[in-house]
This record gives sequence, structure tokens and C-alpha cells, in this order.
Amino acid sequence: MRTTLLAAAALALAALINPPQGAAADLKLGVIAPLSGGGTDWGIGTQRGVELAVDEINAAGGLRVGSETYRVSTVTYDDQYSGQGGTTAATRLIEGDGVKFIFGPLGSTPVLAAQAVAAPGKAVILSSGYSPRILTPQGRHNFRVTLATPEFAPAFIGWLRRTNAQAKRVGIISPNDATGQSVVPILVDAYKKAGFEVVLDEKVERGTSDFTPLVTRMIAQRIEVIELDSSTPGDAGLIVKQARQLGYRGMIMQTGGPAIDEVVNIAGGLAEGYTTMEWFDAGSPEAAPLVAAYRAKYGKAPMNAFVPIMYNAAKLLFEAVKRAGSTDVTAVSAELEKLEGHPSLFGAVRWGGQERYGINHQLMTDFFIAQVKQGKPTVIDRVRP
Amino acid sequence: MFTFAILSQIALNGITLSAIYILVALGFTLIFGVMRIVNFAHGEFAMLGGFALSFFYVSLGLHFLVALPIAAVAVGAFSLVLERVVYRRFYQREMPGMIASLGVSIALMYGGVALWGTHQRSIPSAFSAVYTIGPIFVTAERVVVIGVCLVSLALFYLVLRFTRIGLAMRVVAEDRITAEAQGIDTVATYRFAFFISTAMAALAGGLIGQLFSLSPFMGLMPLVKAFIVVILGGLGGILGAAIGGLVLGLGESFVSTFYGASAAQFISFGLIIAILLFRPQGLVGRKEG
Amino acid sequence: MALLLDSDDAPSARWRPLARWAAWAAAAAALLAFPLAAGGFLTHTATLVLLTVIGAAGFHLILRVGLVSLGHAAFAGIGGYTSVILMMTFGLPWIVCFVAGGVSAAALALLVGPIVLRLKGVYFVLITFTFGEILRLIFNDWQSMTGGANGISHIPPPWPALMDTRAYYYLALFAAGAAILFCARLLASDFGRKMDAIRESESLAEANGIPVFAVKVIVFAIGCTLAGLQGSLQAHFIRLISPLAYSFQESLNFLVMNVVGGSNSLVGPIVGTVFLVALPEFLRGWVEYQFIIYGVILVVVMAALPGGLVELWQRACRWITSLSTRSGR
Repeated sequence: MRTTLLAAAALALAALINPPQGAAADLKLGVIAPLSGGGTDWGIGTQRGVELAVDEINAAGGLRVGSETYRVSTVTYDDQYSGQGGTTAATRLIEGDGVKFIFGPLGSTPVLAAQAVAAPGKAVILSSGYSPRILTPQGRHNFRVTLATPEFAPAFIGWLRRTNAQAKRVGIISPNDATGQSVVPILVDAYKKAGFEVVLDEKVERGTSDFTPLVTRMIAQRIEVIELDSSTPGDAGLIVKQARQLGYRGMIMQTGGPAIDEVVNIAGGLAEGYTTMEWFDAGSPEAAPLVAAYRAKYGKAPMNAFVPIMYNAAKLLFEAVKRAGSTDVTAVSAELEKLEGHPSLFGAVRWGGQERYGINHQLMTDFFIAQVKQGKPTVIDRVRP
Repeated sequence: MFTFAILSQIALNGITLSAIYILVALGFTLIFGVMRIVNFAHGEFAMLGGFALSFFYVSLGLHFLVALPIAAVAVGAFSLVLERVVYRRFYQREMPGMIASLGVSIALMYGGVALWGTHQRSIPSAFSAVYTIGPIFVTAERVVVIGVCLVSLALFYLVLRFTRIGLAMRVVAEDRITAEAQGIDTVATYRFAFFISTAMAALAGGLIGQLFSLSPFMGLMPLVKAFIVVILGGLGGILGAAIGGLVLGLGESFVSTFYGASAAQFISFGLIIAILLFRPQGLVGRKEG
Repeated sequence: MALLLDSDDAPSARWRPLARWAAWAAAAAALLAFPLAAGGFLTHTATLVLLTVIGAAGFHLILRVGLVSLGHAAFAGIGGYTSVILMMTFGLPWIVCFVAGGVSAAALALLVGPIVLRLKGVYFVLITFTFGEILRLIFNDWQSMTGGANGISHIPPPWPALMDTRAYYYLALFAAGAAILFCARLLASDFGRKMDAIRESESLAEANGIPVFAVKVIVFAIGCTLAGLQGSLQAHFIRLISPLAYSFQESLNFLVMNVVGGSNSLVGPIVGTVFLVALPEFLRGWVEYQFIIYGVILVVVMAALPGGLVELWQRACRWITSLSTRSGR
């Protein structure tokens, strides 16, 4: 933690000292991510994922574009997970550092803010955030590299239907924030379509730590499936713990995440049976080289899902730049679209979203269903949305 | 919904919350009563208590009930350094003291972030048994929380009521000038009151860490609850803090079970405004001179 | 700046009028030329500083009658949401929305002020904190009107030409200049002296025939109006509005700006805002350490420098003049 902060500080200082226009053979990538407050771990994962891909390409002699070879570097700014932070960071990257390719932000509000700054085709943004408004037909340079709820909820809940034929009554607990508010209607809809009945839909203020009243309420309403939606990993762990302590015996699911390690950490033995989705299976053979590179650079710090996601996104971008033969924003966006079928860490690239958002800029990846079994997170199924 | 089983479950949850709130609010109100400082960093001392407990209990492997008081005393001792360096300059100066304590709060919170990172972590359950009494589920954890709070409240009362230093604190709170004229060592009294206050906050922080989770930002919750409790009960009063804590803990538990968490928040804020306007001295307080 | 410092015992008081005018002209020229010399990002930050100064000056006025309002940011929110909703839902021209932003904040302050101002000191702090949080909850929960926690995005600029950051800078400069000038005139007026009297001692002021309560309500309303106007300008600049920007922490920031800059003169909040808004923009990336430093600065200022950075500057000037007079002998 301290070293990353120092590294980030050094980066920020370096960015201040260096003039915006680097040498001709220098390609700067921007990263916008939360590096303070609640989302810090995810932000650091984003930063590290991009850096691992950058290290890899520089070790291979740099990024060959047409006749030129670029040395790639990254500049990271904190958005504090807020709209204003997103605006400032994006302005700084685009206007100050002359960046044309941005990874992140991670939350709906900062993503929308950063997109507004980059709006008339100033940068390609490869972001992650649940809001459906992130992808629009006008946003030709905006791509989403993580699955959002509309993509994974029907598949995940369909899996629940198949494996729990008799369950019917669902209670949803979600944070009363931007993500929770945009996601809940989608979830409710997916549950209804799968034949469940959403009996309770509770929104919780950030910072709540006593969930016993909510769980008591769920138990009194004879809820069979508690859905934790986009609750933070810490909150999810607390809800699981308190529900089991109060004698709740039904299913606890989280269509959102990723949070399983933290849930096990907080709820201990009571986490048994908690089921969630994972964007990435770090135990698979394809993941091994990335995991090794991560260990070599960052030691035994836990690797969250944003590391492979952003690593993958950076590699896709490099490929598109190579194919475009230039760093022109429009040309690179067009080549990104054409990457369909290109092999990647997450399997062959699939773009989706046309029918839902009117643009094929949603990266579709298989996801995994993970469950706590004998106290350990275990991948039990692989689902294609 | 209104079955006996559910009502008693809610009451039990409420009492656990009340116990913690009272512990936090008593320290908060003591500092205000004795040295007229609204200590914005009170929640951070609870946060430090949580991490100190984690150190003594998890890292050093002491027994929970041994580690808890040691953690509280350790935080209390650390707070005396801050008392000497920062707080002492602001006694009896409400506004500057409040702003300075805000600075302490920010520095401690982000000091915690630098040391421990931002993710929520937990203190493994020391008592994992769950008892079922009829239809009610009672966890051993909660029994311990209530027990610890009761013991410390009793100790606090005894100290305040029957010892010289307790008498000194009460006199200073009542009338500082006269107390000084009577030869009471106000500096020593302040120091002691500060120690007790932060140690109680740390104790509560440890219990919060055990029951819920730990993070550098966890101090905000106890601070806001302390605010509400002292407004309900009246700033500076002991009985008021106890009653305020009970009203808040039970009220929150009932309202959020029956009407949801948002409703509970609106109601508690509405209640505060009403009380501040119509009985600024609190539900049980008497008017200040 | 020199003019504003006159009431204090500043060395600038000795400047000849000509030099003073020259300094003013230089400062104005620097501010006007700034976006031409600076890059897009610096201009963006400078615009944020100018906008924040308006709210900070409003906070300063309230502070000058001895009150700390932790609901200040929520009033900025009222202004921002009113303006944005009127423009985007009802399609009214910007200037109407802007004025409505200020008027709505003023109206709410006049409605709430007479009630909350019955409380003093710490109790006033607590009640404004609670009131601000209620407003934030409303912004967050009234999804059909405010867009909930997601807020409202794609807010249009006042005029299409103001899409450009440089152009917006001049609007912000004009607004901030007008706000500061207004506050300076107010504080230097008869009314301003009444405010100072109230802060020194309410009972004494009352005894001297000053209508203490009425003055406090008016000052509270003016301060909140400035916050509302800032909220409106800021929402159309960031082009996104969400409840996060109006939480109690943001009100604390206003307090910190005033205290760190100096709460005895209007220069304080200006210096404090530059310090607090500009500095973190350049330190993004190690925000955690930056906050530790803030906390320490806050304590140090309260303990050793009650006049804030402004006092530090005055002390330095005094020290330099004393040195030069000594060596001149």
C-alpha cells in the first residue's frame, strides 16, 4: 500500500516535471481510478493491470506502429470515485498530458464525467461501470471492458433457477448509491423473468454496519434468496455473517462483486454457501503467466479482478494501435471494433450491446460462478452471457 | 410482523446497539462537560481502539477479554500525547477547539489509511456460539458486548461518584473558576477525563470491530451516533447519555426493521432537529445558565 | 488585495495610492491573461478555484457573525439542482436558471434561518450539520427529480461558447470578482461593523441597539445565496451534478479554507481556497498523505496562527520592514 502510494506520488511528480509533449517515440496511456476512499483496492488493481501489460510490451522492445516504435508509459490520477474527480482527472490527462487512451474510471459517475470531457473525439476510454448510460450510439470512442448487470444478471439468475428449482421469494439489499440505484431495476426485472418474486428491496446508506434489522425483516418475510447486489465486499461480508447468526438458512447470492475473498475473511465459517460471480478464474492455466508476473512485481498482495481485466484491455488496445498503424483516436476505435474473434486472456474477443445500447462496444466475456465450500472460494460453473 | 419472537429479537439488537452508543457518547459528553471541547476526533479514537484490539488479540494472540482492556488503555495512553500537544491549548475555547479536533480527526483517519489501507477487515469472532432461547437467536458475541458495556458503565459511575478524581471532574464541569479557587488541580483533572473518555471510545471501537468490521473510516459512525445521543440526552450529562443511547439504539432497531433503513435515517434526523429546537438542553437535561 | 487588508494593521497601508493602483492593475492583468499563458488543465483548476471562492466567501460572511454552518455545501446543492433542473427539464434560459439558483438558496435560508438561528455555538453547528445531511438524503433519494445518486449528467453550459474552458474561466472570474467586491463593500459598511460587533459580543451588540437576530438572519441568507450561485455555476462547468459534491465533508472544506486562509479578513477564504483546491489537484495520486498534512495544518493554524496564512504573510511583512528600518538607521 505504502509503496504503491509512493510510486503513485513519484508518477504524479514526474508528470508535473515532464513537459506535456514527450519525445516522438513515447506513448502515454492514462489511468483514472479511485486511489483514495472506499474503492482504493479496485483502483490499484486497475493501475497494476495496465502497468503489467505496459511492462510486457516494453520488455518486448516497445509498441511497433507503422515505421515507429513507441515506448509506452502510464500516468495515473485519482478520481476519488466522484464525478468532479473524474472531470478533473480526465481534463488533466487530455489537456495536460496529451493522453489519447484512458483506462478507467470504474464507477458510473466518474465514467460519465470523463466521457463528457473527452466528448468530441479527444480520447478512447476503456471503462468499467454499471450505468446503462455509459454506452450510447454517439459515444464512438467509449468502450466498456467489464460485464455490467444487464449482461450478467439474466445468465446468473438463470443459473440460480436451474439449480434451485423450488426457491421463490427474493429479498434484495443494495447500497443507496449511484451503482445500487441504477442496478436494482435491472435485477428486479431479471428475477421476475426467471419466475422469482421480489418481496423486499432495501437500500442501505453507505457506512451502515448493523444489518440485523434488515435481516430480521427478511427472515420475518420468509425470504428464500437474499441478493446482495453491488454491496461493497465489506458490507457483503457483514450481511452474510449477521444473517447466519440470526438463523437465516436460505441462499445468499451476490449478482455483482467481485467480493468472495473479503466475504470469507469477514464472515469466516459463516460464509459457507455464499454464491457470487467472478469475472476471472485466477486458478485457470491461462491465468498462470499473468499471476506469475503479478507476484514477481507486487509480491503477495492480493490480485483482484481488475488486474486481469485492465491487463486484457491494455493488450487489446496495443493490438488495435498496431493494426491502425497510428495513434489516431478514430482509427484506433475502428480497429478495436474489428478485433472480434482476436484471441485474448478471456478467450476470443466478442463485442456486444447493439440491441441494448445501440452500439457494439460492450466486451462480452464468460464469467464464473463461485461459491464458498468448506471455507474456500471455489469456482463451480462457467457461464456465457 | 409483530410477533413476540420478532419484537424480542429487535429489542435485543437494539440493546446491543444502545450499549455501544452509550459507551461512545459518555466519553464524548465527558470531554465536552469538563473542558468544553466538541471532540470531532472521538470516532477516530474508537477506530484506533479497533485496530489496537486487532493487534493485541489477533497478532499477539492474547485472550479477547484481556486484549480488550489493554487496547483501551493503550489508546488512552496514546491520546494523552495528543492531549499534551494539541488539546490542552484549546480547553474552554469551544470553536477553536472544535476545529482543531477536526484536524486531529482528519490526520488520524488518513494516518490509519497510510498504515492499514482502506479495505474493511474483521476481528475473528472470539465467541462464536449462538444460543436459541425459544424463538430468539442470541449470539455469544452480543452477550459479551452487552456485558462489557455494563461493566464499564458501572466502573465509570463508581469512579465519578465515589473517588476524589471523580468528584474533581464533577466540580470542574460544574464551575471551573470556583474549582480552581478551591485548589483543585484542573490540569490533572483534564488529563484524567481525557484518558477515560478516549479509553471508553477505544473500548467501543474494539466491540464495533468484533461485531462489525474495521476500517480507517469507521470512526464517522460512532461520532455521528455520539452527536445524536448527546443531543437527545443533552450535552454534558451522564444520565442523559444513557437515556439518549437507549432511545437511539432501540428506536433505530425498531424503525429500520419495520420501515427500512432510509426511513430510520430521516426519522432520526427529524427528531434531532425537533429536539434541538424545542429542548436544546436534551430530553432530561436542565437549562444551562 | 491591498485594499482588503486595510482594515488590518498591514504594511500595505503605507503604500502610496499610485503604487496601490499599479498593484491592482497588475493583479487584474495577470488574472485576465492567465488562460492565455496557462494550459487547459491549469485553466480548469483556476476556474474551479474562482468558483469555490464564491461559496467560501459566503461561508466567510456567516463566520464573521461567529457562526459555523456545516450545511453550507447543501445550499450550494440547492442552487445547483434548481438551476440544472430548470434548464434541462423546463428549458429556461441560463440566466434565469442562475438567478433562480441563488433565489432558491436564499428563500430556503430565509425559511430555515429564523428557526436554526435561535441556536448558538456548538448547537448551531450540530443543527446545520443535520439539516445539510437531510438535504443530501433528499438529493440522493428523490430519484425522479434529482437523478438520485447518479445525479444528472450532460448538463449544457450556459451558452454553447462556454463549452470551452477558457471562456468559462472569464465567466468565473467575473462572478468571483463581483462576489468578492460585494462582500468587501458589505464588510466595510455600517452593516459590516454591526456584524463584527455581534461576533465580539452578542449581548453588548444587543445593548447598543443592534438588531442581532435580524442581522444574523440576513447574513445567513446572503451567505447561502452565494453558495447557491456557486452551486449553479459549478454544475454547468463540471456538467455533472451529484449528491456526493454536497455532503457534510464539502461544508467542512469551506470551514478549512476559511480557517487555514484566515478568518479575520476576506483575503483569508481566497488564500485558503487557492491552497485547498489548487494544491490537491497537483497532488492527486497521493491523496492519503495530503490529508494527513491538512489535518496537521489545521491544528497548527488553530494553535499558533489564529489569523491563518494571511497572518503568516503579515508577520513576514512586518518582520521584513522591521529588518529594513533597522538596517536603514
